[in-house]
Amino acid sequence: MEAASSVSDLGILDSVDDASITEIMESWDGFCRATEALLNGHGDLSVGSEFVSHVHSLCKRSLGSLVQDHFLRSLEETFERNGATRFWRHFDAYTHVEVMEMSKSPIQENGIQKVLYKALDDVSLEKQYQEKCLLMLVHALQSYKDSISEERHNSDAERIHLFSKYQLIVSSVLMTTLPRHFPEILHCYFKGRLEELSTIMAGEYEDDNESDDKDDMDLDEKNKVSYRGEMDIDECYQRRKFLENNKLVKNIGKVVRDLRNLGFTSMAEDAYASAIFLLLKDKVHNLAGDDYRSSVLESIKEWIQAVPLQFLYALLAYLGDSVSYDNPSSGLKSPLASHPSSCYPGIDTPSEGLIRWQLRLEYFAYETLQDLRIAKLFEIIVDYPDSSPAIEDLKQCLEYTGQHSKLVDSFISALRYRLLTAGASTNDILHQYVSTIKALRTIDPAGVFLEAVGEPIRDYLRGRKDTIKCIVTMLTDGTGGNPNGPGNTGDSLLEELNRDEENQENAGIDDDFNIDEKQDWINAERWEPDPVEADPSKGSRNRRKVDILGMIVGIIGSKDQLVNEYRVMLAEKLLNKSDYDIDSEIRTLELLKIHFGESSMQRCEIMLNDLIDSKRTNSNIKATITQPSQIGSELGETGVSLDILDATIISSNFWPPIQDEALNIPGPVDQLLADYAKRFHKIKTPRKLLWKKNLGTVKLELQFEGRVVQFTVAPLHAAIIMQFQDQTSWTSKNLAASIGVPVDVLNRRINFWISKGILSESLVTDPNDHIFTLVDDMVEPGKNSVNAGSCEELLVCDEEGERSVASVEDQLHKEMIVYEKFIMGMLTNFGSMALDRIHNTLKMFCLADPPYDKSLQQLQSFLSGLVSEEKLEIRDGMYFLKK
Amino acid sequence: MKVKILRWHAVASWTWDAQDETCGICRMAFDGCCPDCKLPGDDCPLIWGACNHAFHLHCILKWVNSQTPQAHCPMCRREWQFKG
Repeated sequence: MEAASSVSDLGILDSVDDASITEIMESWDGFCRATEALLNGHGDLSVGSEFVSHVHSLCKRSLGSLVQDHFLRSLEETFERNGATRFWRHFDAYTHVEVMEMSKSPIQENGIQKVLYKALDDVSLEKQYQEKCLLMLVHALQSYKDSISEERHNSDAERIHLFSKYQLIVSSVLMTTLPRHFPEILHCYFKGRLEELSTIMAGEYEDDNESDDKDDMDLDEKNKVSYRGEMDIDECYQRRKFLENNKLVKNIGKVVRDLRNLGFTSMAEDAYASAIFLLLKDKVHNLAGDDYRSSVLESIKEWIQAVPLQFLYALLAYLGDSVSYDNPSSGLKSPLASHPSSCYPGIDTPSEGLIRWQLRLEYFAYETLQDLRIAKLFEIIVDYPDSSPAIEDLKQCLEYTGQHSKLVDSFISALRYRLLTAGASTNDILHQYVSTIKALRTIDPAGVFLEAVGEPIRDYLRGRKDTIKCIVTMLTDGTGGNPNGPGNTGDSLLEELNRDEENQENAGIDDDFNIDEKQDWINAERWEPDPVEADPSKGSRNRRKVDILGMIVGIIGSKDQLVNEYRVMLAEKLLNKSDYDIDSEIRTLELLKIHFGESSMQRCEIMLNDLIDSKRTNSNIKATITQPSQIGSELGETGVSLDILDATIISSNFWPPIQDEALNIPGPVDQLLADYAKRFHKIKTPRKLLWKKNLGTVKLELQFEGRVVQFTVAPLHAAIIMQFQDQTSWTSKNLAASIGVPVDVLNRRINFWISKGILSESLVTDPNDHIFTLVDDMVEPGKNSVNAGSCEELLVCDEEGERSVASVEDQLHKEMIVYEKFIMGMLTNFGSMALDRIHNTLKMFCLADPPYDKSLQQLQSFLSGLVSEEKLEIRDGMYFLKK
Repeated sequence: MKVKILRWHAVASWTWDAQDETCGICRMAFDGCCPDCKLPGDDCPLIWGACNHAFHLHCILKWVNSQTPQAHCPMCRREWQFKG
C-alpha cells in the first residue's frame, strides 16, 4: 500500500529537499505513533490534538491518501487483533459440540444466548470505538481541507467512502477468520428464541381465539360503517400483542442488527430463515402426524399467520425494513397477521418483504405437508372414506406445488412393496384399488395420475386367477366376500353401480342439451387442456370420466368374462334358494344391465325370470292339490304330501351347465316328484319337467327317542340319512348302490352326517368298504351332548365345495375339448408348433360351429392341461405330441 | 330313528317334448326361443303341424303369412295345417 502511494507521489519526490524529507519523516513517525496510541488507547483520546496536527502536516505534503491508507490498515490490524480474535474466542467452547446436542439441553442453549449477546456487545463496542477514531481522522482531514480552500467541501462523500471501506474491512476480517461452527451457533440461537416465541404466541393464540372470532364479526359490521374505526381497533389489539413479545423480539432484533453491522447480513438471514423453516416443519409434522381424519391445512396457515409472520413483522419493523412508504399506519400493524380477510388494498399495504416471506412460508408448508402425506398415501388410502380430509389437504397442496409426479412415483413404489405381493389377498388388492380410484378422483378429476397409478395394480391383478371371481363377489355381495375385511367393499361397489345409474341419466340429459348450439358453445368455453403430465399417446376423451366399474372391468379385459362369471355365481345362488325371494338379485341385475348393456345380461335375466315363473307355477300346482290325483291315496300312507314340495323350474338352455349326478332319492319323494311333474304337464302341455334330483335343498327333522334335530341339507344327504330309517347299519358299497351314486362320492358326502355325530364310521376287513352305523343317542351320550342342549337347532349344511353349477374353468375345459382333435391333428402334421401358431391356426380354420373364440391364455391353460395328461410335451415353448 | 321331511325344494328343468332339438326355421333350440323373443317358455311357445313337425309359433306364423295362398310345411312340403 505504501509502495503504491509513493509511486503516485513520484512527481513530488523530485522537488523535495532534505529538510522537508526530515520534516515529513518526523511527522510520519508522529502520525504512526499517534495512530497506534489512539487505536490501542481504549477510549483515551488525549492524543487527539497531536494526531490532528500530524495529519495536517502530512496533508500539506500531499500525503493525504497515504495517511488514509495507513490509518485503515492500522484499523484492520487492530480489529483483527482485538475485535475478531476476541469475538471468536467467545465461541471456542462450542467448537466440538454438535448442534443437535446444543439445542437439546436448555442450559447449553441459554449459555449460547449469553455468549452470543456478550460477544456481540464486545465486538460492537470495539467497532464503535474504532468508528470514533475513524471519525476523528475524517474530521482532521476535513479541517485541513477547510483551512486551505476556505470554501466548504462536500465532506459527506469522503466520510461515507471511508466508512464503507471500514465496514468492508470489518466484515472481511470476520469472514476470513470465521470458525465453521458459527452459523450453527446462530441457527441454534434463533431456533431457541423462535421456539420460545412460538410457545408464548401459541398460548396467546388460544386465549385470543374466542375474542378473535368476536372481533371478526364486529369488524365485519364496522367495516360497513367506516374503515377507519376498524383500523383503530385492530391496531390496538395488535399493539397489545406486540408489547408482550416486545422484549423478546427486541433482543432478537438487536442480535440481527449487530450481526448486520458486522457484515453478517446474509448469514443472519439464513440462520433465522432456516430456524423458521425448521420450526414450521416441526409444526407441520406435529399437526399432521398420523391422523388423517381431520384437515390440518387451515390450522397450519393460521399458525403461519400467528407465529412466524408476527415474528418477522416485528423483526422487520425493528430493523426498519418493513415501513411501507406510502402509508405510515401500516407500519403499526400487520394486516396478514391474524385477519387475512381484512386486507384492504389501498388502506393497508403490507410490506413487500413480508408478503414475500408469507409466500415462501406457505409454499414451504404446502410442500412439507404434501411430502408427508405422499409418503403415507398408502395408509391414507387404506382407510379412505375416513381419511378424506387428508386427501383434501393433499389436493390443495398439490394444486399449489404441482408436484404430482412425486405422488405417482412414490405411490407406485409403495404399492409394489406393500400391496402387489403374493401375501395380499385379491380382495384386499381390489379393495385398495377401488379406494385408490376414489381418492385419486378427488385429487385429480381428469384421472391422469390415476391412469399411471392404476396400471401396475391392473397388471398384477390380471395375473391372478381369482380376480374375476372376487370382482363379481364384490359387485353382487353386500359383504364383499371379505370376511376379515371391513366388509364395505361390496357395498361400495354396489353403491358405485347406483351412482353410475345417476350418471347415465345425467349423461342422457347432457346429450339432449348438446343439440343446443348455445350449450355447445358453453362446453367449448369450458374446455381445459389436459395436465402437462398427461400421456399424449392416450386420447383425452376416454380419460374424461373416471368410472370405477369401467376401471374394474378394465382389469379383466372384457365384460363378457365378467358377465359369465356373474352368471355362474347367480346360478349357484339361485339354485340354493329355497324361497323364491330374489329382490336383491333383481336389483343387482338391473344395475348391471345399465352398465353392461341389456343384451349381455339377457341370460341372467331369463334365469331370474325362471325363478319368478317357478314361484307362480308352483302355486298353480299347489292349487290343483284339492283335486286329488290317482296316486293321492298312496301319499296318505307314506305321510308326505305334495304340500312339502316346492320346485325351481329352469330354462336349462340359458343356465350355465349344471352338474348332473344320478341319485336315487327316497321312494315317497320320488313319487311326489312324479306327481308334481304330471301336474306340471297338465298345466303347461306340452311341456315336461326333467328333475335334477341332486339339486335343491331339503329341510328335515331327525326324530330320535326323546330328541329332535333339524337340518337343512342337500338331497344327497337326505337320501343317505333316510336309508338309515329301516336299517341302522350299511356298508358303503351297499349304500352307494341303493342311493345310486359312486362309492367315492358317497364316502365324501357322508362325512357331513359323521361330522354331525349322527352316523359313525368303522373299518372292516376290506379296506375299501366302510361300515356306517347310526349313532343312537342312548348309546353314546357324550358325543351327542354337543347337540343335546339345542334340539331344535337348524343346521345349514356347508357344501364342502360341492357346487351345483360347473365352474367357469370347467365350462371352458368342456368347450376346449372340441379342439383337442384339431390340435392333435395339427401336431401330427407339423411335428411341433409354438403356442401362438396353434392359436392362429385354430382361429383360421375353426370358423364353423363352434367358432374358435378363445384367448391365447385360455388356449395355453388348456394345452398345459393336455401336457399334464401326458398327451403333449412342451420343450422350449414348442408343443410336441407325446410319443 | 325316523326322518320327517319338512320341506323339499327340488330343481327341475322344463322341455318342450319335441322330437327334434332345434326349430327348422330359425335353427334355434326349441327350449330356447325364436330370434324375436327374449324369454323362452310361455312367451315363445311351440306349435305342431298336422305333419307332426314342430316350430316356434312365431317362426311358423311368419312363414305361413309369407306363403300365399297355401303354406307348406318347411320340412316336408306337405300342406301346412296346425295340429288341432
